[in-house]
Amino acid sequence: MLIMNNIGKVYQTDMVQTHALRDFNLQVNEGEFIAVTGPSGSGKTTFLNIAGMLEGYSSGQYMLDGIDVGKLNDNQRADLRNQKIGFIFQGFNLIPDLNLYENVEVPLRYRGIKAAERKRRIENCLEQVGLAGRAKHLPQQLSGGQQQRVAIARALAGEPRFLLADEPTGNLDSLMARQVMELLEQINRDGATIVMVTHDPELARRTPRNIQIVDGQVADFTLYQGKGAASQALKSQMGA
Amino acid sequence: MLELKPIINALLRSKVGAVLAILQLALTLAIVSNSLSIISERVSYLNKPTGYPEESIITFSVMSFDDKVDANQQLIVDERILKSIPGVIEAVGVSSVPLSGGGSNSGFSLTSEDDGKHTNSGHLYANEQVIRTLGVKLIEGRDFTSGDVLISSEYAKQPDVVIASKAFTDEIFGEGRGLGETIYYGGGPLKVVGIVERMTNAWPRFRNADRLIIFPMVNANGFQDFLVRTDPSLRGEVMKKIESVLLQENPNRVITNMKGLDEVKERYNSKDILMLRMLLVLITALVVVTALGIFGLTQFNISKRTKQIGTRRALGARKSAIVRYFVVENLIVCAIGLVLGTVATVFLGQKLMSLYSVPPLEVSYILITALGLIVLCIASVIFPAKKAANISPSIATRSV
Ligand SMILES: Nc1ncnc2c1ncn2[C@@H]1O[C@H](COP(=O)(O)OP(=O)(O)OP(=O)(O)O)[C@@H](O)[C@H]1O
Ligand SMILES: [Mg+2]
Repeated sequence: MLIMNNIGKVYQTDMVQTHALRDFNLQVNEGEFIAVTGPSGSGKTTFLNIAGMLEGYSSGQYMLDGIDVGKLNDNQRADLRNQKIGFIFQGFNLIPDLNLYENVEVPLRYRGIKAAERKRRIENCLEQVGLAGRAKHLPQQLSGGQQQRVAIARALAGEPRFLLADEPTGNLDSLMARQVMELLEQINRDGATIVMVTHDPELARRTPRNIQIVDGQVADFTLYQGKGAASQALKSQMGA
Repeated sequence: MLELKPIINALLRSKVGAVLAILQLALTLAIVSNSLSIISERVSYLNKPTGYPEESIITFSVMSFDDKVDANQQLIVDERILKSIPGVIEAVGVSSVPLSGGGSNSGFSLTSEDDGKHTNSGHLYANEQVIRTLGVKLIEGRDFTSGDVLISSEYAKQPDVVIASKAFTDEIFGEGRGLGETIYYGGGPLKVVGIVERMTNAWPRFRNADRLIIFPMVNANGFQDFLVRTDPSLRGEVMKKIESVLLQENPNRVITNMKGLDEVKERYNSKDILMLRMLLVLITALVVVTALGIFGLTQFNISKRTKQIGTRRALGARKSAIVRYFVVENLIVCAIGLVLGTVATVFLGQKLMSLYSVPPLEVSYILITALGLIVLCIASVIFPAKKAANISPSIATRSV
């Protein structure tokens, strides 16, 4: 589903050139749940941003579902992002002036989905994250864990096949982190591909596949811990 | 895709900025459109023709201390002397100066008995040179002849004929009528022998300013006003000579208040002109402040939502959707401000009308001002909104 070949990303600031990613190679297959770890400043967020088309890359090739992302214009990228990708942020990034219902509605409106269908999906997703009764609440009336669940509902509402999460539990205590993690696992079982950046080794251990990024490169595959259908499929696919 | 509902909901939840903008827009609409209405009414008043060629007429007064001289005879001599100055077309002694704010105003009726029905009009006395000196246009009947003129120092006496402005004859006799008809003043009959298209009495600001009746009569006194019409290019020269030629004839007097009729008018209107300038300064300042305020508020509203914009982009908003969001939001605020402003405008207009003598506010001024404010709103949002749309979506993951 995602193939990155020799991706490089250079940030140019005044005097300094930062190579955030270099010769970055990765393939993510349909249905995987991958945890990305690595030291601070190693390029995890950069990788996630490029994967989600929030940022461009300086060199290399990125194919998403067979589409060469480098050849798309800004509107096409926005539409593709809207259709295929769900984002979960460390800071939740709910829109403070919108209630939960309206927050979840945002990506659906951008896709031009009809009101009745929007309503069905929003109620469905809020139900799924256990916040059905709170649709009229504003984000600041919720705990961090609840806010992150709303953000997950928002990411899910568009029924994306690919979820990208940058330290989704980074701002949560361990109990709430576990709840969010369980939710993500459920979503993965339902068929979504998930790439999650995390600093928490315990969470990383729960996912079937871990990759570590060091100095802008994939440093270490803790390959296929033998859990989950997706990794089984991958193993056989790769002839392991 | 119209996002009206969530935009309105979001606005309702963070009201302060919007409320400020709405109030500012409403106030600006109310003040500017009422001021524009007043300004345009005053400008059209100031530009309204008086009927006189003001730039070619001189007025002055002669104060005389010599009681041995017959004032009426002196007046006729003075007129002759004035007329002999090169460049003078005609000169006349008058009982009061039009447009000056000082003169006579009385009631005229259609019957000799006082039945209480009067038509008010300004009036003045002068001899047969007056129509030519004033440079007004006689449209019906005839000018005075020397035979019409009554020279007398008795106030009870009055001439047999008058020349009146069309505004007066139309008012008292009905549109288009009046020539050859008789009006009564203090019980005595006066036949209308001539009608002047337009001439203004001593009080241009008032409602009946265009009603003026001229009596062919000389009743000079120790403080006599004169009017002199000159070739407009020679008016300055003539003005310089008047005093010396008159004093040469009789030194026992003082010539004062020498000015052009245009200056007389300007002095009379000086308050209006001052008010106009002040209003213009006021509304310019107000518009500048509003413009800055709206620009600032819009800029602030957008810049405090940088992260939200990044998030929306990450969730699949095209750049155009971001621009549209802010433009629509701005137009909603603008529309509310203008609706509220229209109410305030009408209210202020009625208050001004009842407290001061300002004319009723015309809808076109509200429309023009509102249109200007809409342009201002759009101009203030379009640039920051475009800038906002260019915010990288990566801000959503980069800022916590
Ligand atoms: N906009 C930018 N301009 C310049 N340099 C940048 C920019 N964004 C990131 N970098 C640099 O790129 C490198 C990779 O950053 P990145 O945010 O991907 O790291 P990370 O692995 O996510 O770190 P952390 O665990 O602290 O979130 C860092 O050295 C960072 O300073
Ligand atoms: Mg990071």
